[in-house]
Amino acid sequence: MRSTIPLVLTFVIGLFMVGEYFIPHWRYHQFTQVFLEWGLILAAAAFLLGLFNLVQVNLPKVVNKEEDWGYKLVMLAALVFTLVVGFMGGTDRLSNGQAYKWLFDFVFVPLNATMFALLAFYIASAAFRAFRARNLEATVLLVAAIIVMVARVPLGEDLPLVGEKLPQFMNWIMDVPNIAARRAIFIGAALGAVSTGLRVILGIERSHLGSD
Amino acid sequence: MNQPRPVPIKLAALLLLWVLTLALPASAATVSVQAPPDNDGLNLDVSWTESTDPAGWGVLRAEAGSSEWTLLKLLPGDAREHSDKVTTDVWNHPPADEYQYKVVALRAPVLLDEIEESEQVATVLAAGVASEPGTGSPKGSFIRTGLKSKNYGPLVMLLIILAVGVMMQKFTADVRAGKEVFIRRIPGIDAIEEGIGRATEMGKPILYVPGIDELQDIQTIASMLILGQVAEKVAEYQSDIIVSCCIPIVREVADEVVKSGFYQAGYPDAYNPRNTRFISSEQFAFCAGTNGIIYREQPATNIYLGRFFAESLILAETGFVNKSIQIAGTAEATQLPFFIAACDYTLIGEELFAVSAYLSKDPRLVSSLKASDWVKLFVVVCLIVGTVLTSFGLPIINNLFAISGG
Repeated sequence: MRSTIPLVLTFVIGLFMVGEYFIPHWRYHQFTQVFLEWGLILAAAAFLLGLFNLVQVNLPKVVNKEEDWGYKLVMLAALVFTLVVGFMGGTDRLSNGQAYKWLFDFVFVPLNATMFALLAFYIASAAFRAFRARNLEATVLLVAAIIVMVARVPLGEDLPLVGEKLPQFMNWIMDVPNIAARRAIFIGAALGAVSTGLRVILGIERSHLGSD
Repeated sequence: MNQPRPVPIKLAALLLLWVLTLALPASAATVSVQAPPDNDGLNLDVSWTESTDPAGWGVLRAEAGSSEWTLLKLLPGDAREHSDKVTTDVWNHPPADEYQYKVVALRAPVLLDEIEESEQVATVLAAGVASEPGTGSPKGSFIRTGLKSKNYGPLVMLLIILAVGVMMQKFTADVRAGKEVFIRRIPGIDAIEEGIGRATEMGKPILYVPGIDELQDIQTIASMLILGQVAEKVAEYQSDIIVSCCIPIVREVADEVVKSGFYQAGYPDAYNPRNTRFISSEQFAFCAGTNGIIYREQPATNIYLGRFFAESLILAETGFVNKSIQIAGTAEATQLPFFIAACDYTLIGEELFAVSAYLSKDPRLVSSLKASDWVKLFVVVCLIVGTVLTSFGLPIINNLFAISGG
């Protein structure tokens, strides 16, 4: 019974939602929209559970002064501070001059940008490892990468003999082998998604429900 | 001082109006209204015929039998059709049974910016010659066949889904009858169990990241299915699993899935709800929090399965620095190179959707892999035949798979 009800619900609602694509009538669409709105409400309610989880995981570590408890304290303090400032700002919290907006613009955005900027260094170190010519495939990757990189910088076009042809060759690499491989991945993934969706809707896949 | 006598403004305006009226067609346009095929029942296609182009067209609509006209749009003079959505709020304003439309051939362009909405219809009617109304009823289709609109994509897609379903049944019956089904070895999936074993030997946890997309994304769903199998194996090995989630509802589901896995393995007491964590719903805050887990708790194995974006490489490189075994899988083509560069094993595209069946060895799940392989073969044949036919100017296969108008 513990898994029967979820299976029946998944089958009925799953099939109903798949039907939306094949049944265009507005009356049908009217009801699928209701299900989607229920989903949004559930997802929004889950944010509250997420908040509880953050406190449940981090507060005991601060109270018991476990390892790295200071980081957890900063996180919890930031959580409470942002929440209070947000509530105090009311519906105008995103207007200029409001503390919440200030926090967003001058704390959150720079921190976000800092994390994103780290990606440049990670790309450099990953590329260094990926482009080592260990075997034939890695060598092909290395050569293709060098051509694309050189062709994309102004210096590439000024190279003697190959300068003019380099951008054309780069475009060919990007438009032909690259797109072909990407489409193959897309088609395979789409079929895998159809198969997974059917398994879940038909109740064949039950690993997420556990046993009865 | 013999200046010319100024022409009165009214007289000039009348003259201009007369000249413009002469430029208009003698007979008003003929309007026809039709419901488009394979339609939701909220759209009507309005078209009209006219031999000469006026300065512009005003399209008006009213419910049948009503004289309350609404201005829908002003169109350029060379326009002869307009697609109208009769309502956007079906709950409060359901569509009427029948609508009437008329078009107004404008003598001169009309600017409505400074005209009150209630006066716009009158202004447009005064600025041109209105046609006789044409009527039409919105008709919703109960099945999108695409036969009338020659848009066969949805029908082909329905047939493919049905074919997958039928083949799944057939292969399941075959497997149950004792027929062996070959599945190629996927090293990345084999490595999951090795990774769990390694973590157990080292006495360190396993980190599982189910991507950063919402629960309704099929990659997240696939990841949750795999998490169930992984949690069961982790419980059998008496190891620990940390699940780091970016979306609160994904955490709730992941928590249930992990709990079920531990129950199924027979170790419900080993389940720790504090190990399934919501970090942040912000992409890079989540990334920073998960990196923190990698640095501080030093998991022996990191499993990234689901939909990832720019955070993929930051997570994978941090795991690499931490010397964890890393297994990644995503159908997000833009992130695959990053995972391939930084992880030990990468599941590419469809392999992500095969993991659950591969790990469980359940005949019904295995049969679904076989079914999708057959459809893949069909798609490959269609691609080859379609390429050849299109090269000879026969885009039959292209048309068969064409999808337009969603």
